[in-house]
Amino acid sequence: MSFISELTKGIIKENPIFVIVLGMCPTLATSTSVDNALGMGMAATFVLVCSNIMISLIKNITPDKIRIPIYVVVIAAFVSIVDMSMAAYVPALHKSLGIFIPLIVVNCIILGRAEAFAGKNNMLNSMADGIGMGLGFTLSLTVVASIREILGNGTWLKIHVLPSTYEPMLVAILAPGAFITLGFLMAGMNLLKGRK
Amino acid sequence: MKYYLQLTITLLIFCAVGSGILAFVNAKTAPVIAERKLAESIAAREALMPQADFERHTAKADSTFEYYVAYNKGTKEIKGFTFIASQNGYAAPVKTMVGIDKDMKVTSINVVEQNETPGLGTNSTQPFFTDQFKGKPEAELQVDKDGGKIKALSGATITSRAVTNSIRTGIAVLRKDLETDSNAAKTGAEK
Repeated sequence: MSFISELTKGIIKENPIFVIVLGMCPTLATSTSVDNALGMGMAATFVLVCSNIMISLIKNITPDKIRIPIYVVVIAAFVSIVDMSMAAYVPALHKSLGIFIPLIVVNCIILGRAEAFAGKNNMLNSMADGIGMGLGFTLSLTVVASIREILGNGTWLKIHVLPSTYEPMLVAILAPGAFITLGFLMAGMNLLKGRK
Repeated sequence: MKYYLQLTITLLIFCAVGSGILAFVNAKTAPVIAERKLAESIAAREALMPQADFERHTAKADSTFEYYVAYNKGTKEIKGFTFIASQNGYAAPVKTMVGIDKDMKVTSINVVEQNETPGLGTNSTQPFFTDQFKGKPEAELQVDKDGGKIKALSGATITSRAVTNSIRTGIAVLRKDLETDSNAAKTGAEK
């Protein structure tokens, strides 16, 4: 597979949320508003790219039997480094993304890609895979969040898009709304796939 | 046996390198982070009480409760007090920076940390909620459902209660501490 196809497969064909169904926790939790979704998406993409590069670099010295604990160590160390350096040197960014950083440790997309891809492929392709998967994650998260924010709050990125007479459907931004939205979107994706 | 020992040692080396790097990064960043937090809390206090000098006190009865006495810059008279009120909301503790004038009335509040439900509890940071605290004495600091003068956010009574009750409790602790320790606050003797 070429660099480009590794890069683009994460967006639709192997979309981490709707197709691989990884990273459900952060998807459900942070899709309450579009700016949260973008924040989580960007933070996760950054860590995903870094951890993919790192893991593909050390794949030759990683014994197969203990690869998972080693991946966990690498990912957790990366997340902590990102968290600490962001808090110290880019406080404005840390203020808006800070709450998502600890959540990334438990984001299974990152461990999933380390296991399924970066541990078996070279550095360049692993980086492309990380970028693609990260973009796919960000995009899907933004779609879920857009639906929930517009229906549940009448706004998109905090800008009012629906007339003020619109009575917000509160259920959309509460936890059940996340499951319902996600369910409909997955059904839609499967419908499109089945047609082909 | 030898194989397993080898695995264990490999993992140990990975962990040691990882924690070594983390320790290094932490040592580099911790002072910067602490400095930034300090600057932030100073800025937050100054937003509540402009033109004042602050002096830190710890409540005698409750060592976790810290408050700041604000003195007028020119005259050195007590202008008011600030403290951080905190109480569990719907999801996590809601922290509010509170400014009190010398007659124990709220001058202004600022919800500085919360993780409440978007669209409901997060409205507690909005001016239409926080502005109604201005000028309220301790006795009126209860949500309307509990017989007070604070209009609770619709759909977020728990958050409104957390903010309101934490401020009222905070004022009570502050008042008690000033009574038992009135000299320190009056003269500023305790540094």
